[in-house]
Order: sequence, then structure tokens, then C-alpha cells
Amino acid sequence: MSLLSIEEITKEYDGIKALDRVSLKVEEGSIKGLIGPNGAGKSTLFHLISGVEKPDSGKILFKERDITNMESHERSALGIGRTFQTVQVWGNMTVVENITAGMHRRLKGSLFSYGLWLPWIRTSEKDALKEAKEILNSLGLLGKWEAMASQLPYGKQKLLELGRALAMKPQILLLDEPASGLTLSEIEQLSERISEIRREGVTVFIVEHHMGMVMGIADEIVVLHNGELIAEGTPESVRRNPVVMEAYLTRGSAGTRDRP
Amino acid sequence: MVPQTTKRSQRDFRKRDVFYLVPLWLISLIAPDPYLYHKKEFKKKDLYYLGAIGLAPLIWSDPHFHHVMVLAGIYAILALGLSLFMGYAGQISLGHAAFFGIGAYTTAILTTRHGFSPFVALWASALSASAVAYLIGRPILKLKGYFLALATLGFGEIFLVMVRESTNLTGGVIGIFGIPWFSVTGFSFDTYLKQYYLIWGVVTGLFIFSKNLIRSKVGRALLAVATSEDAASSVGIDVPKTKLDIFVLSAAFAGLAGSLFACIMSTANPEAFGLGVTVPIVMMVILGGMGTIYGPVAGAILLTWLMDILSRYQEYSLPIYSVILILLLIFFPDGIGTRLNVRILYLIGYWAKKRKRDEGKL
Repeated sequence: MSLLSIEEITKEYDGIKALDRVSLKVEEGSIKGLIGPNGAGKSTLFHLISGVEKPDSGKILFKERDITNMESHERSALGIGRTFQTVQVWGNMTVVENITAGMHRRLKGSLFSYGLWLPWIRTSEKDALKEAKEILNSLGLLGKWEAMASQLPYGKQKLLELGRALAMKPQILLLDEPASGLTLSEIEQLSERISEIRREGVTVFIVEHHMGMVMGIADEIVVLHNGELIAEGTPESVRRNPVVMEAYLTRGSAGTRDRP
Repeated sequence: MVPQTTKRSQRDFRKRDVFYLVPLWLISLIAPDPYLYHKKEFKKKDLYYLGAIGLAPLIWSDPHFHHVMVLAGIYAILALGLSLFMGYAGQISLGHAAFFGIGAYTTAILTTRHGFSPFVALWASALSASAVAYLIGRPILKLKGYFLALATLGFGEIFLVMVRESTNLTGGVIGIFGIPWFSVTGFSFDTYLKQYYLIWGVVTGLFIFSKNLIRSKVGRALLAVATSEDAASSVGIDVPKTKLDIFVLSAAFAGLAGSLFACIMSTANPEAFGLGVTVPIVMMVILGGMGTIYGPVAGAILLTWLMDILSRYQEYSLPIYSVILILLLIFFPDGIGTRLNVRILYLIGYWAKKRKRDEGKL
């Protein structure tokens, strides 16, 4: 049984088909990579899965449950975590608050119980803080836990965003270009971290431009081109696929880095 | 900050340094710590503030001082509620005077016509204000920025027109007179001093409530919604519900303030709930600083005093008032609280460097 399955999904913007009857499945416990030249519809697909936008037709199933028309926050409550292409940490909060805010749906209690600071709120807040520090420790950010998130350098903000997504204990993690803007050593750290996340039992679905990274960690890769799915398979088979080669080579705008 | 300076001055101590240190130490007691202002736990400094509020009316036993502070306290409740909605959730409301008015009229009608005690009316006012906020909040909180500002402004005006026209219920432009003093189980708050402690007791309670909110899950959700709604919903924060909850809560604060206002002024008339209230409380929040709850209270005290002092100058009062506001906004754009620290730090640095410059080392 696959954790996430997308069936015949179509999305149009002003008559241009961003996605054309795309179907794919993400198996539980795997790392799936999604690649494609610029404008292939990768980000659109991610927006549709996380609920920022709604598809024109088709269905999205998560754990055999139709989530096509659910609101974004309901999907996250089911266990879909995500990071963003342009990093979106909350700069007006401290680093540790960013993580504890990620635990939002796991902390229970009404507005009034928080305002009155009832005993069980006190313990749950304390536990949340402790857990957040553990997450920060595993990401190597514990030294800056009291700094404002906006003061972190870009690479650290990306890590923080990943930590925030992990804090909600998702079942599937959607990573939108996690390596963009990072240095090589940071990318290596990130790859290790993602493999670790998978070992902890989280399924990872990753969109990436950086071929070396995604080929290295993914179990399976799908290739999107002009809104259509042109190849699917192991990294090795995708690398050799002539259709994929052609898709990348005919796009002049895609840099050398993008070529498989 | 202070011990560091002392250590350095051990080398070449001059008597004049003491004159720098004493005011700096005093300021450090009052001003929030600039590096850790984002820490939201309760601190020893809060006790200091509480002591100052408690002792002030005993030191200055002037009834006029008490009365102005009572008004400042009512504005502080309004500004506190609004700062949760504006400073934390990043929304804007120009219609809070209407909730203030709903609270005042609920108390006025319940106490003068139906014989309820002011204590019951207080809770009824908070409830009615939040019920109205829930009804109008559901549709209009989908709007953003200017549109939300206009919608809430419109709501405030509609409320005023309704109050003026429904003469039977609200007494029209004349209003309702003879609202009894606030009283709990026979104890009547009939002097300015008693009212001072009543109002500032309520402010303290609501302040602790707000502070508990902002240092927990609720406050984090508010800040998250203010910065990035996409990111907020990606971790499971229900954005519309968060906004609605805090709108209703801030309306409840305004309702409480309105009820207390009606009991203290013993009248309720539409003049008191128009833009003449909305603009000052928005100013208090902005001047006090967005994203802090100490600021709005400080802003409320400052602006109420300013209005009181300037009222002596009759026709010049409004021009002077606006010039002072403009200057404050130019020099303290992030609010007097946060910006003051930066200024003080700059001055400390300037003094330290000045000495070196004088010695020809820099």
C-alpha cells in the first residue's frame, strides 16, 4: 500500500497546462525524488499536495483517504509536513520557538487554559521546550536556540525549517529544493540528515535541482517535463533514459548542473 | 551592562563616572533588557513594575492624578487587547471603539433599566462584545491589510449610527445617565483611589493572561500567522480560526474596558466611542511597539498624560499633541520601548568611545 498516491491530476493556469494527467505513488518508508527542468510543474505538484492550491481534476489520496479538497492545515494535521522553496522561517520568533511552533497540532488546550496557565499547560510547555532542544541538538543549532531566527545565516535557516517540519512528527515530508543556496559541505550534511530521517520511519518526497544529491539519496526518481511524467525508476535507470537526456538538453536555460 | 562598565572604570576611576552610572542603573530597572527582550517569561522586573503601579497613588495622593491614571488604565486594557490582534497577529482593526461602546452600553442598559449589579454587567459586556466580534469577524477577517482596516472602520461607523438612531434602546445622542458605581458584594468603588486599584487590578490580571498567551502555543501561532500564513498552515495552524479567536478575545477586553468606563463615568453617550477613541488606542499600540505587551500599557499611560497636560493649552492642545506624536513616530518608529534601548546603548557606546577619543587613542 502506498502512502501517498496522486491520480490523473491536472492543473491549468490561464489555459497553459502546468500539470497534465500526472499519476504517481510514493511508497511508505522510501525516499522519492522529483526532478525536471525549470517550469516542468514540480512546484505546482507540491502546492497541490500540501493544499496551497486545488487541482482542476484528479485525486490525491493519503493513506487511502481522499484529501483533494482538504484545507492546508487539515492535511498537515494528517501528517504531511513540508518545507518551502524560498525559506519561510518565522523571523520574528526565536529559533527554539520556531521549533515549538512546529509542534502546534500536538499541543492541546483551549485559549483560556493557556491564558490561565493551568498546571497541565505548564508541563506540556516544558516538555515541548525540552523536545525542541533535542531536535535543535540533532540539527547542530542548539548553540543559537535563543537567537532570533531572522539572524541565522541562510543555510541554518533552511535547517531550522527542516527541524520545524520534523517537530510536527510527519509521516511524509515534502522537501522543496532543500539544497538550493547551500554550500557543498552543507549539502552533504543535509543528505546525511535526510537519510537519518528516513531511518526514523518518515517517508520523504523531495524536489531537487542538485542532481548529485538527489541521485545519491533517492530510492526512486520521477521526471516531469512540460507538465507530463516522462520517466520513473531507480536513479540509475533514469540517468540512462534517453527521453530524460533529451528533455534536459533541449532546454537551453537549464544549466550544466541540472544535467543528469 | 552595568557591572562591565564598573570593571573597566576600576582602572581610571573618576568621580564623574558615578553620575553616569546612577541614571543608567535606574534606566536599566525600567527599560526592558535590549538583548533579551524577546524572552517571554516573567522576570523580577515585572514585580518592580507591579510595585510601582501599586505604590504610585499612595505617593501622589492627588485625586486628579488618580483619575487620569484610571482613564489610562482603561485605555491600557483596550490597547492590550488590540496589541494582541495588531502587534502579534499582524492584523489591523480600526473598529475597536465599537466594542468599547458595546461594552459600555450593555452595562448601562443592564444596570439602569434591568437592575443588574455592575459585577454581572461586567461579564455580560465582555460576552456581548465578543459575540458581536464573532459574528462580524467570520466574514471580514478574510480580508487583509487596507481592506480589513476599511471594513473595521466601517463597522465602527455603523455602530455609531445605530446607537444615535435607536433612541429607545440607547437614548440616542444624549445617551444613558446614572449608571451606578462599580460594586462587588456590597463594596462600592466610589472614590478615585478605589477605582484606581480596581482598574489597575483588572489591567494586571489581563496583562498576566495576555503574557501567558504570548509565551505559549497561542502566541507562537499568532506570530506565525503574522509572518507567513503558508508556513503557519504547513505545521497545522488553523489560520482563520487563530485570527478569529484573537479578534474575539481582544473584543472581550474592549468590552470589559467599556463596562468599567461606563461605571466610572456613570454615563454612556455616542461621543465617547467614535474615531476619537479608535485613533488614540491604535497610536498607543504603535507608539508602545508592535509585538510587545509592555509597550501598549506604557503607551496608554504616556498618551493619556499627554492629553491631560495639553488640555490646559486649550486651542493649541491638538496641534502640540500632533507634533509630539509625529516626532515620537519619527524617532521611535518601532515603539518607545524597543527603540529606547537602542538609543541608550548608543549613548553608552558614545560615552565609552568619547573617553578614548579624548585620550587620543582612537
